[in-house]
Amino acid sequence: MRMTINGAEVELDVEPDMPLLWALRDELGLTGTKYGCGIAQCGACTVHLDGLAVRSCQVRASEAEGAEVTTIEGLPRDHPVVDAWIEEQVAQCGYCQSGQIMQAASLLAGNPAPSDAEIDAVMGGNLCRCATYPRIRAAIRRAAQETA
Amino acid sequence: MRWLALVLLAAPAAAQEFAPVHEVLSHPRCANCHVETDVPLWRTGVPHGLGVVAGESRMGIETLPCGTCHRAENGGFPHAAPGVEGWALAPPEMAWAARTPREICEQLKDPERNGGRTMAEVADHVSHDPLVVWGWAPGLGRDPAPGSPEEAARAILAWDAAGAPCP
Repeated sequence: MRMTINGAEVELDVEPDMPLLWALRDELGLTGTKYGCGIAQCGACTVHLDGLAVRSCQVRASEAEGAEVTTIEGLPRDHPVVDAWIEEQVAQCGYCQSGQIMQAASLLAGNPAPSDAEIDAVMGGNLCRCATYPRIRAAIRRAAQETA
Repeated sequence: MRWLALVLLAAPAAAQEFAPVHEVLSHPRCANCHVETDVPLWRTGVPHGLGVVAGESRMGIETLPCGTCHRAENGGFPHAAPGVEGWALAPPEMAWAARTPREICEQLKDPERNGGRTMAEVADHVSHDPLVVWGWAPGLGRDPAPGSPEEAARAILAWDAAGAPCP
């Protein structure tokens, strides 16, 4: 099956029901996307599918056929969210952070000036065991201001 | 006295006509998403976690649609997110979780609260809408709704043919 991953057209020879997460990590070596729970309960595996955040552990590879997939490796290095994450020193252990960043980038793409309540509503499905939530919120606010 | 006997006899009969329909509609596979609030239920009385809200579209807010986790098919692992095409909450006017059989019965007949459907269209909705039919194939670890979509549709049509009495 063919799909575009981080701007490059890719041909994947995998079982149609393989989770996209496995295809990204095991077949393509894009290990920036993390396996957390495998059941859409943590958000660590968040990527963009045709521009919208999805949990790649729940997306079957066949569902991504013909689609555009963006992983943390494909997010521009100078993306406002990435800059803000560094400025706010958000990460602690860092395991959940690629999912957090991809979810935050999707949030700001759809809502460039979210309120704190809107940030919490959208980011509530991305869990951080180190509880960096105040810094996540601060970084999203900073990214929003910088792009305003 | 004769009229009283008729009323007393009719009430249980009405309840019986609607009972198989109510058994399906009140099942968690149906009722958990037929809620008045902005939040679906994970289990009876237990709201969906992770802070999700249905929004005006009832398909999640624009920046966190239900489809972020609920994809076109059930997740293949125990406790994984269930999925089918068009994952969404029912419109608020079609909420019936925690309502009595009589309340559900009355609203099912009310075009203002059943999507403007005839009873035949309600039966068709139950047996053909992919999201409703999902209730009988909900994936690993979830009890399906009672019977089958076809049996539920037949129960609705039989109840309607009997005059759609409410308990």
